[in-house]
Amino acid sequence: MSRPLSSARLVIGAAALVLSAAACSAGATAQDTAVGNGSSFVPGSYGTTVFQPGARPQAPQVSGTTLSGGAFRLSADRGSVVVMNFWGSWCTPCREEAPVLGSLARRFAPDRVRFLGVDIRDDPASAEAFMRTYRISYPSLNDPNDQIALDFRSTAPPAGIPTTLVIDGSGQITARVIGPVSFDGLKALIMQASAERT
Amino acid sequence: MTGLRLPPDAGPQAPADELAGQDGFTDPEHGAPAARGPGGPRLGVTGWLRWGWRQLTSMRTALVLLFLLAAGSVPGSVLPQEGTNPAGVDQYYASHPFVAQILGRLSLFNVFGAPWFAAIYLLLFASLLGCVLPRTLRLAGSARQPPPKAPRNLSRLPFAASYTTALAPEAALQAAAQVLSGKRFRVRAGPGWVAAEKGYLREAGNLLFHIALLGCLVSIGLGGLFGYKADRLLVAGTSFSDTVTALDEFHPGRLVSPADLQPFTVALDNFSASYVTSGPLTGQPAAFNAAIRYSATPQGPVHRYTLAVNHPLVVDGVRVFLIGHGYAPTFRVTDGTGHVVFAGAVPFIPVETSGLTSEGAIKVPDADPEQLGFVGLFLPTAVDVGGRLESAFPAPLRPMVSLISYAGNLGMNSGPPQSVYSLNTAGLHRLPIAPQALAPGQSIKLPNGLGTLTYTGYQQWISLAITYDPGQLPALTSGIAVLAGLLLSFLVRRRRVFVRAEAAPSGGTVVSLGGLTRSDAAGGFEDEFSGLAAEISAQHRPPDTGPPGPGPSGRGRSGPGPSARGPSDPGPRDPGPPPGPGPSGPGPPGRGRSGPGPPGRGPSDPGPPDPHPSDGE
Repeated sequence: MSRPLSSARLVIGAAALVLSAAACSAGATAQDTAVGNGSSFVPGSYGTTVFQPGARPQAPQVSGTTLSGGAFRLSADRGSVVVMNFWGSWCTPCREEAPVLGSLARRFAPDRVRFLGVDIRDDPASAEAFMRTYRISYPSLNDPNDQIALDFRSTAPPAGIPTTLVIDGSGQITARVIGPVSFDGLKALIMQASAERT
Repeated sequence: MTGLRLPPDAGPQAPADELAGQDGFTDPEHGAPAARGPGGPRLGVTGWLRWGWRQLTSMRTALVLLFLLAAGSVPGSVLPQEGTNPAGVDQYYASHPFVAQILGRLSLFNVFGAPWFAAIYLLLFASLLGCVLPRTLRLAGSARQPPPKAPRNLSRLPFAASYTTALAPEAALQAAAQVLSGKRFRVRAGPGWVAAEKGYLREAGNLLFHIALLGCLVSIGLGGLFGYKADRLLVAGTSFSDTVTALDEFHPGRLVSPADLQPFTVALDNFSASYVTSGPLTGQPAAFNAAIRYSATPQGPVHRYTLAVNHPLVVDGVRVFLIGHGYAPTFRVTDGTGHVVFAGAVPFIPVETSGLTSEGAIKVPDADPEQLGFVGLFLPTAVDVGGRLESAFPAPLRPMVSLISYAGNLGMNSGPPQSVYSLNTAGLHRLPIAPQALAPGQSIKLPNGLGTLTYTGYQQWISLAITYDPGQLPALTSGIAVLAGLLLSFLVRRRRVFVRAEAAPSGGTVVSLGGLTRSDAAGGFEDEFSGLAAEISAQHRPPDTGPPGPGPSGRGRSGPGPSARGPSDPGPRDPGPPPGPGPSGPGPPGRGRSGPGPPGRGPSDPGPPDPHPSDGE
């Protein structure tokens, strides 16, 4: 992790402490070990990391193929705030936060805030069905070999599913949320990133 | 081994600290508990702390802790462990609910992560560190020490000789020093004496042992702090990268963050397993091979590799082991609205090994109008045994699935994350469909217009164990160095030779030699000493002097040349060729020769054979 994050890590740690009591479901990837008993998950620590100006990692170039087959480049969105969400249709916390993301995407659409999903460990048919269920209209990239997650490894790696990143108009990552986002929480992060863009 | 700590004039009463030198731990400062134990006079806080520290760093404590560590890891190999065999733990809980609960409380299903286990190794670490660190510093000092001053009375040393020479004392000492430094002794000269010491390699070995021991501890610590373990199930035809979101299980070391993972990518092209097809071992696996492609970095070159059992992939210091395999039947589900809502492979987990009958669940949370769920079996070689389907062989000779269908609420839209391998049927109702086994291509039509499930085929999957232990190579290196250091310190003796020369009242110079060694269990110093004495005395004979020089002074001996005596008995212990230097026998310089050699024998002269040619400085 790039070293300016150490205070951020503290925040995550503290948040994890508080949340782990409430959410013993701190797991995020619902894939299990091959020989597993089916009850153990990669435990992600839920929490929000806000990167202060000056300590914001630059988001990497992200490109890929959307679920519907189109080509996509993140750099095309420079100038807009981008909300990037790593998700999977099989993942319970992702389903939990999906209505929040859907309504925030609709609400901020006039403000040129772009939403982008990255579908992890999923089959396209299930992912499309998920988007129908939750009326998600923003595009999602298919990331079958985790290359997009890898691209973020030195900045704000998704440390669980779901992970949501807020990227400001200059391409800097302003916040990372591990675990399901709340409507008010993500809204505040988006407003902050938009307000700083002048 | 505190080295030659005796005061130089300790005399013949011999290596007193030999005992202290025999092990790596006890030593006068850290070994025994303080003289004033708890029963003794009152101790202040610092006194108690010091006493506690001495107790902790004593060898006895270290041994007890080592034993506890060994004993503590026994349950780790007897009981199933969560890290390696979570299914076994579940099974244990199922079959012995009461006992399992007690064992679970004691962390006996996760021994190596248990607090009490950590307490043992942390204490052991502190104990070893507290013992080894001060010793290392002392050894380093001892290895650099010059030889001590020559004792006043050399005849009291375990090995001694004396004779008179015509040379002046200074010249005699210089000649002696030359001989000794020619033999790679470390030489120190003073007024009227020369002191020489050899065998510093013993201290060097000792130092190496201690430093390497520290290296071992640090290596193990490195692995615990910076290493990680992870698991991943990979279906043929798919790929994954070493990043947290792509791993099924991730056990990072204390200082590992998601950004530290080596960014390699592995794609599984094909997996093949072969099984014994005849004889009593029918159905036993014969070989597993996984054809993979991997790249060490996202844009790096792609390599091909064949993973097999005990043939891991090593990429960027990370080792990827093939540890399991199974089948992932593929399904396509169309919901009531006609949308394809699922199309993919679903890993099923083997529940028995002879036929690889496997269990799994298919969840379709986005089916309309109702969520759909299926549980069932995959049978690689399905056979009908009295109306019941079983798998007769692990290879996919007649791959069939048998499923139970549910509809309702999968419980996936909120709440705790679920396992992908089982169905939470609390919110589901079973659909009334007659049980039937499906062959590839066959479908189940769900009632009430809920949709259709088609069993389209199967894939194989492998499970991978990913381990990164940066301490492994340092630990191996340190282990080898520990052994090397130990051997050196056992095989090399440290020994000292002193020479004094004083003008005799009757004219000439009395030269006395003394030798001292430590822990000369193997013997040999006696011969070395007498050989040295012979060479030195030869140097002290003026060039024109004929055969036997002046007789030894004092001691009432009459033989030519210097005489040597051992620490306890007057003659060499081994009845070898050199006859004992009794009063009547020839002195050691003879060593089978007719007399002292010709004058001017330099240090390069072969001289008496060095009994320990391996000894060094």
